[in-house]
Amino acid sequence: MTALLEVRGVDAGYGDVQVLFGVSLQVREGEIVTLLGSNGAGKTTTLRCICGLISPRKGEVLFHGESLAAVAPDHRAGLGIALVPEGRELWPQLTVRENLELGAYHRRARRSLSKNLDRVQALFPRLLERKSQLAGSLSGGEQQMCAIARALMSDPKLLLLDEPSLGLAPIVVDQMFEAVRQLHREGMTLLLVEQNLVAALEIATRGYVVETGRVRLEGEAAALRSDPGIRAAYLGI
Amino acid sequence: MIEHLLDLTVSAFLLAGLYATMAYGLGLIYGVLRVVNLNHGGMIMAGAYAAWWAHDQFGLDPYLSIPIILVLAFLVGVLTYAGLVRRLPRGAAGGVQSLLLLFGVWLILRNAAYLVFSGNDQTVLTSYSTKALPFLGAQISVNRLAVFGVALVTLGALHLFLTRTYVGKAIRAVAQNPESCTLAGVPVQRIYMLTFGLGTALASLAGALATGLYAFNPGFGATELLKSFVVVVLGGLGSVAGTAVAALILALVENFSILVIPSYLTSAVGFVLLVLVLVLRPGGLFGQRVLG
Repeated sequence: MTALLEVRGVDAGYGDVQVLFGVSLQVREGEIVTLLGSNGAGKTTTLRCICGLISPRKGEVLFHGESLAAVAPDHRAGLGIALVPEGRELWPQLTVRENLELGAYHRRARRSLSKNLDRVQALFPRLLERKSQLAGSLSGGEQQMCAIARALMSDPKLLLLDEPSLGLAPIVVDQMFEAVRQLHREGMTLLLVEQNLVAALEIATRGYVVETGRVRLEGEAAALRSDPGIRAAYLGI
Repeated sequence: MIEHLLDLTVSAFLLAGLYATMAYGLGLIYGVLRVVNLNHGGMIMAGAYAAWWAHDQFGLDPYLSIPIILVLAFLVGVLTYAGLVRRLPRGAAGGVQSLLLLFGVWLILRNAAYLVFSGNDQTVLTSYSTKALPFLGAQISVNRLAVFGVALVTLGALHLFLTRTYVGKAIRAVAQNPESCTLAGVPVQRIYMLTFGLGTALASLAGALATGLYAFNPGFGATELLKSFVVVVLGGLGSVAGTAVAALILALVENFSILVIPSYLTSAVGFVLLVLVLVLRPGGLFGQRVLG
C-alpha cells in the first residue's frame, strides 16, 4: 500500500544553513504520526518542505505516490495538504468568520464552504460565539482552535499540526488533544509535531524521533513510549 | 468673515475627496506589498494627460474618459508589477531597490511627457469649468463638486470591495500574513499584481480628476505624491475611513493656513504636518492597523 505522504531522503535548509539531512518518513491513510525532537531538530522545517514553503535541496516529497516537486505551494492546499503553523499565524485584523472563509480559498473547498463551516463550528463551538470578533483579540487557546479550524476549512486529506499545545494552559492543551483525537476518529490523517512527548505518543499510531536534522528512531507509538533511550533522553525518567 | 470661513471649510471638504483618492492607492500598495510606489506621482501626471488628451483630440468630457483611463492604468500597474517589481531579487521588493526602480519608471514617464507634450502648462476647459452653485451663501464650483462626488463613490466602492468580496478579503489577508495565504491556497503573486493594478488606477484617477481643478505640466504629480505621503502617514494603511479623515485634516490645515501665511507657502504646510505627526504620533492617528 502506498503511503498518503512520503518524505524521501530530504535535505533542506535556509541560506547557508542546512537543517535536514536525508530525512525520510511516511504517513499512511488514517494514521496519526508524530514527529518528536527537541528545539531546532528540524521538525518545523520538515513540515515547511511538505507544504512547499521551502524546497528540498535533495530528495523529494510524495503525496498519493506522486512527487510534489512541480506543485507550487499555493496549489498544495487544493491537493489536500493543510498546515497549522507554529504560532497560529492567523490574520489578526480579520474576523474569525473571515479567517475561516479564507481558509477555504481553493476551488474544491469553496464549493463545500457551508458544510465545512458547520463541521468546524461543531468541533469548536467557541468559534461560533466568537465569529464576529477579530482573530487577534482571541485568547491563545481560541486562536489555536481558529488556526486548526481554518486549516480544516480547506477540506484536507492530511493535516499537519506544528506544536498545537505550545504556550497554552494545561486544560486547553487537553482540549486540543481531544480535538485531534476526534478528528482522527472521523478518519483524518494527521502528522503532529510536538514537544509534549507523553501526550503525543499517547494519541499517535507511530512516531519518528528527529535529532539535528536526522531521523534517529522510528516505530509504533507504544514501542517508543517504552523505549529506555527515549525515556531517559526526553522524558527524564 | 463668517462667509469666508464657511467657504474655506466647504472647499476643504471637497478637496479632501481628491486627496483621499490620491493617497489611497499609495497606501494600498504599501500595505499589501510593502513597496513604496514612487511612480505614483508619474501615474497621477499620466492620468491628467490622458484626460486632457482625450478632451483635446476627441472632445471627450474628462468625467466620461475616467472609465477608460481606469482600465488602462490598471493594466499599466499590472504590467509594472509583473514586468518589473516582481523580478526584483527576493526580499528586495520592499527595499531600496524597489524605490530606485519605481523612481526610474517615474523619470521615464515624466521625460516622455516632456518630449511628447512639451513643458507648457495645460488646462482642460469645459462648458461648466467656470460654473458655480450657491451653497449657504458660498459659491461652489461645479467641478469641485463633481470631483468630490467621484472620489466619494470610488472610495465607497473600494471599501465594499475590500470588506464584502472574497478577493477583497484575500487582499487584506495578504497584507496581514502572506504565508498563511499561500497555505490556504491564495495565489499571493496574483493578489500582488491585482493590488498594484488597483493602486495605479487610483493614482491615474486622481490625476484625471485634478484636471478639473488645476493646470498641469509633466512635472505634475510630485507635490501630489508628497501630499499622499502625508495622508498615508496620518491616516494609516488601507483604512478607507482613516484615509478620508487624514485627507480632510490636510485639506483643512492647508486651506485655513492662508489666513495666517502667504498662499505660496500652503504646499509646505502639509510637510510641517507630516513632521509633526512623525515626531508626535509616528504610528499615525489611528495606530498601526493594516487594512483592518
